[in-house]
Amino acid sequence: MSDICEETLGVGLLCEGQHDPGTPPAGLRRAPSGVDGLTTEHLIINMGPQHPSTHGVLRMIVEVDGEEIVAAEVSVGYLHRGIEKLAEHRRYDAVGTLMDRGDYVSGMMGELAFALAAEQLMDVEVPRKAHWLRSLASELNRLASHLVWYGTFGLDTGAMGQFLYAMREREALLDILEALSGQRMMFNYIRPGGVVADMPLGVTEKIRAFLSTFDMYLDEYDQLLGGNEIFQGRVKGIGTIDRQMALAFGLTGANLRAAGVDFDIRKARPYAAYPELDFEVPLGSTGDAWDRYNVRMAEMRQSARMIAQLIDGMPEGEHTAKVPRIIRPNAGEVYASVESSRGETGIHLISDGTEHPYRMHYRGPSLYAAQALEEILPGHLIADVVMIIGSTDIMLGELDR
Amino acid sequence: MRPAIADIERTLAAISGVSVAEEALGTVARVELAFVPDALSALKAAGYESLVDFDGTDTGEFVELTYRLRSYALDLELFVKSTVAYGGTIESVWFDYPSALMPERETAELLGIHLAGHPNPKRLLTTDGVEPLLRRDVLIRTVEEVKAR
Repeated sequence: MSDICEETLGVGLLCEGQHDPGTPPAGLRRAPSGVDGLTTEHLIINMGPQHPSTHGVLRMIVEVDGEEIVAAEVSVGYLHRGIEKLAEHRRYDAVGTLMDRGDYVSGMMGELAFALAAEQLMDVEVPRKAHWLRSLASELNRLASHLVWYGTFGLDTGAMGQFLYAMREREALLDILEALSGQRMMFNYIRPGGVVADMPLGVTEKIRAFLSTFDMYLDEYDQLLGGNEIFQGRVKGIGTIDRQMALAFGLTGANLRAAGVDFDIRKARPYAAYPELDFEVPLGSTGDAWDRYNVRMAEMRQSARMIAQLIDGMPEGEHTAKVPRIIRPNAGEVYASVESSRGETGIHLISDGTEHPYRMHYRGPSLYAAQALEEILPGHLIADVVMIIGSTDIMLGELDR
Repeated sequence: MRPAIADIERTLAAISGVSVAEEALGTVARVELAFVPDALSALKAAGYESLVDFDGTDTGEFVELTYRLRSYALDLELFVKSTVAYGGTIESVWFDYPSALMPERETAELLGIHLAGHPNPKRLLTTDGVEPLLRRDVLIRTVEEVKAR
């Protein structure tokens, strides 16, 4: 171990002589050699890691020729907490607390991804009601997350009012999620076998009250931001991620669908209550920031539609299967995915039959979106950087893990 | 969702040492490390246009690499696995799959392996001097050790 460590740490992972990027593959304009690999007299600007427009602790190193970006490098890791390593030391019912702290704006979906993976290794049948509660919690959380994106994306373009309205709606949603799970953000609500508690009295009414105005408000919000010519002028035609680039960089979620690729885990690999729900998958065409905006706005309408179906059709029954206090799944290796707010959240889980996961790999969609920024940004102006980052809706907590 | 074993075997027929099997994980093609770039190139030509995940696992004897490929056109998913010795070198597959750029860097630093042919093989999540955290023999600190820092 020590020899390997010394070699690894002493030499470093940057291998001399291997820095020739060669010819970029088809679909890429430039080889991703990193900004510091270039010999140039252009200006190099550090943006972040504490920049308010990077939506977390993200550092962008951009090389500019005047105001035009020539090359960009995404530097991450400032929020790395070793979630995958920590999961190897947690019991299965406690890993959800780690998932909440990955994508902390939509923790329900992370919890669900892990629960689905663990259940593949357990001899357990999740009750129908638990599936419905999981979908309900996920869609409420997706709305809360998309509202953060909507509000802050507007801030990136210089608008302010929409942020206040978005936070008002989000507060109502967090109140509902708190009533449902006991927590506003770090829920630990979805666990292997089901959910931690049934729906308390009064929550259905709260949700109905929220839905009674949300569609109308959403139309107004869309008009407020999307109907603004200044906003349109700043997002239309920038940050285009076409189909080829989206697939090459492994993009998922709204970033992929904005490029016209019809793929949503909820439809393509149905889980929880989604096979029983009626909803559509919004698509874009060109894949620019404007398309990504429109896809997410349409997704909020679909989420509200699903929530209405979920509270109207909530089945009777148990909210969780009977699972042992200490879960010891069968030994094996599985993979489970969910459609989170930002794309596909995947869990690659390996069990050795003990009470702790042997290995848990957490696939977050933001990592793939962030590395695509290095390809998207060159050719744009400095002023476009924050808009393009905002349009991809990356979450640094989930990226760094 | 899962490709037929015969189809994958046919696609990888020109590559030696390939075994394809149905596992709980999905359809898994096991490939010798030296042939991973060729195997992935062949699979990309066969329609697996997106690498949607890449990670490694310390098995206690070596590091097992898992590539997860997806064909949107065919609606299929395939796992490709290979193994590398501790401190060994893996060839980057970024040329066929640019989505591997950051996951490869992460896997290399967290499992203590080297990257060859990567255009920007710097550390991704940790700084110089940090041990490869996902190795089984790298232990996390206890509460007492953290307090005593």
